[in-house]
Amino acid sequence: MNGQTALKCRDVERYLGEEEERVHALRGVSLDLEPGSIHAVVGASGCGKSTLLYVLGLLDAPDAGFVAIEDEPMSHLKDAELARKRNEFIGFIFQFHFLMEDFTAQENVMIPMRRLGQLPEKEMCERAARLLDAVGLGNKLTRPSRHLSGGEQQRVAIARALANDPRVILADEPTGNLDTNNSERAFELLQRLVREGDKALLLATHNPAIAEACDWIHEMMDGRIFASHARAQRGTSFS
Amino acid sequence: MTPTLYIGLRFLLHRKRALLLSLTGVVFGVAIFICTQAQTQGFAQHFVNSTIGSNGALVVKSRFRPRYPSLAVPARTTKATPALRLQFEGITNANEIMRVSRQFPDVVSCSPVLRGTVSARAGFQNATVDLYGVDAALHAHTTDILRQLIAGKYDDFRNNTTTLIIGSKLADYLGVQTGDTMQLLSPSGEYWRFTVAGIARAGVGSIDATRVYAHARVAQTLLQRPFGASMIIYKLRDPGRAPALATQFENLFQHNSESWQDREESTLQLFLTLRASAAITVSLIILLAGFGIFNVLTMSVLTKVKEIAILRSMGYRRIDISAIFLWQGALIAAAGSFLGCLLGSVLTWMIGRIPIRIRGLLYADHFLVSWDWRHYFWATVLAIIAVLIASYVPARRAAELPPVATLRGSSV
Repeated sequence: MNGQTALKCRDVERYLGEEEERVHALRGVSLDLEPGSIHAVVGASGCGKSTLLYVLGLLDAPDAGFVAIEDEPMSHLKDAELARKRNEFIGFIFQFHFLMEDFTAQENVMIPMRRLGQLPEKEMCERAARLLDAVGLGNKLTRPSRHLSGGEQQRVAIARALANDPRVILADEPTGNLDTNNSERAFELLQRLVREGDKALLLATHNPAIAEACDWIHEMMDGRIFASHARAQRGTSFS
Repeated sequence: MTPTLYIGLRFLLHRKRALLLSLTGVVFGVAIFICTQAQTQGFAQHFVNSTIGSNGALVVKSRFRPRYPSLAVPARTTKATPALRLQFEGITNANEIMRVSRQFPDVVSCSPVLRGTVSARAGFQNATVDLYGVDAALHAHTTDILRQLIAGKYDDFRNNTTTLIIGSKLADYLGVQTGDTMQLLSPSGEYWRFTVAGIARAGVGSIDATRVYAHARVAQTLLQRPFGASMIIYKLRDPGRAPALATQFENLFQHNSESWQDREESTLQLFLTLRASAAITVSLIILLAGFGIFNVLTMSVLTKVKEIAILRSMGYRRIDISAIFLWQGALIAAAGSFLGCLLGSVLTWMIGRIPIRIRGLLYADHFLVSWDWRHYFWATVLAIIAVLIASYVPARRAAELPPVATLRGSSV
């Protein structure tokens, strides 16, 4: 992995739980995400994929090691500064899309923009509409999110993750709750948006087809990345 | 609109039933607070207006002279005692005192009064009365006697020195009406005949049951007093300034001076106690409303755990999450206070029209209410404090929720 990194971590250790239930969830994990690259983390349930995503996404603090955004270490930052970094640099996509039920599709996409506070209301509306149009939901802007299908909700979640034009997108099983058809469409959409926007994408997945389509596959087991394969090394082309 | 206010408003409007429940508590708490304060202060204000209207806001009374202490230096262990006064009944230089005191900007007018207690007789009824010998013109200007007249004409009294104005309850007791004759017993034992020129109702039972107004010179002769005034009563621009002015007058004129606040202290304390009691009782309603809001917001936090985690993942800070729930409380407090003030004013207006016959300490034919902006202000302040305290705990709890725990709930 060469070039400037959008997000990286070094020697990350993370323990979860207390006393007898204490689990060593991450064991010396190091990772570099370059702009325009797509990384998949694969491994059995409980191997630490989600924990790694939360640590990289600054939602959880590592017990040792560090995370850096564009070479700036995040370890010393306080909650408010970490939140600002999340808001500006990172977009999250979750397995269960996690939309705000009381809000329309467009309002959901505008929520991160409101926090960033760089655009006036009208421009936020227009940008949200453009993003939803890009994910094929241009005709469902004002529909309450709970009235959308599972696939549509995940596409709204993708649009929301892109709301503040983040450098990094972290996706935790983004297609895990979708049928095959919708899974492929959602991943293709993500792929296209990441390539076009020169962003870095790290996704945790159980889907081998999706993993194979990524530039890098990182295999995890018991909190360790024990193998990383670049597409060139795998000798196949999936995009 | 800030993002936290926007989200808080949306959360609030989405749970309409809970919002209605919270609002109802605040609205009724505020409205009832305003109503009870309007009533208790209404009666108190009526009493104050009546007593000031009859007896003045400030009274300068008998002359005193300090009893000077010995020139010998007291021992260090001796406790200092306030200087005693030698009292001299009556005011011998009333005109001079009134001339000087009229220079004070707070003084609207003043009137000398010669006061004494005599027996009155009408027909077969006798009563001990409080005789006020007054200068008819000055007294009309200083007190509310003209407004208090419920029978007869003040001019009839002003133009005829053998006439009296008597309190309404006393008139009832003696069974006299305007034009009737009644007699006052002088200290020398002879009855003086007077015609009742008017009947006055001050609205304060103790005044209406004993008060008799006569002309000052007649009263002086009847009471056989060497001085023309036993007190000077004052009408002030701001009755609230009476205690300060009383101290000033006392130092200046060397006459005992008493403000209406000191004069009516015991009755005012009674009203104050009633108001405080009502305020405490009603505050409990507002506190209960706050408790309701606490429950509603706590439930809201529990049902919005997922949304809180999402917001945190999108870059909302702990303080933002807290603000979302505090805004909800603030919006309930603002809307509840506004509606509560509206309802309170409507209820106060309606209560003011409820007929009730009061013939004791006060005279009233309907509920007495006071329109005072401070009732609305304090009701609002109380509601805001109660609601914000109630919102604080759920808001803090929301802010402390670890987002990862919620997100991990769906994937490990």
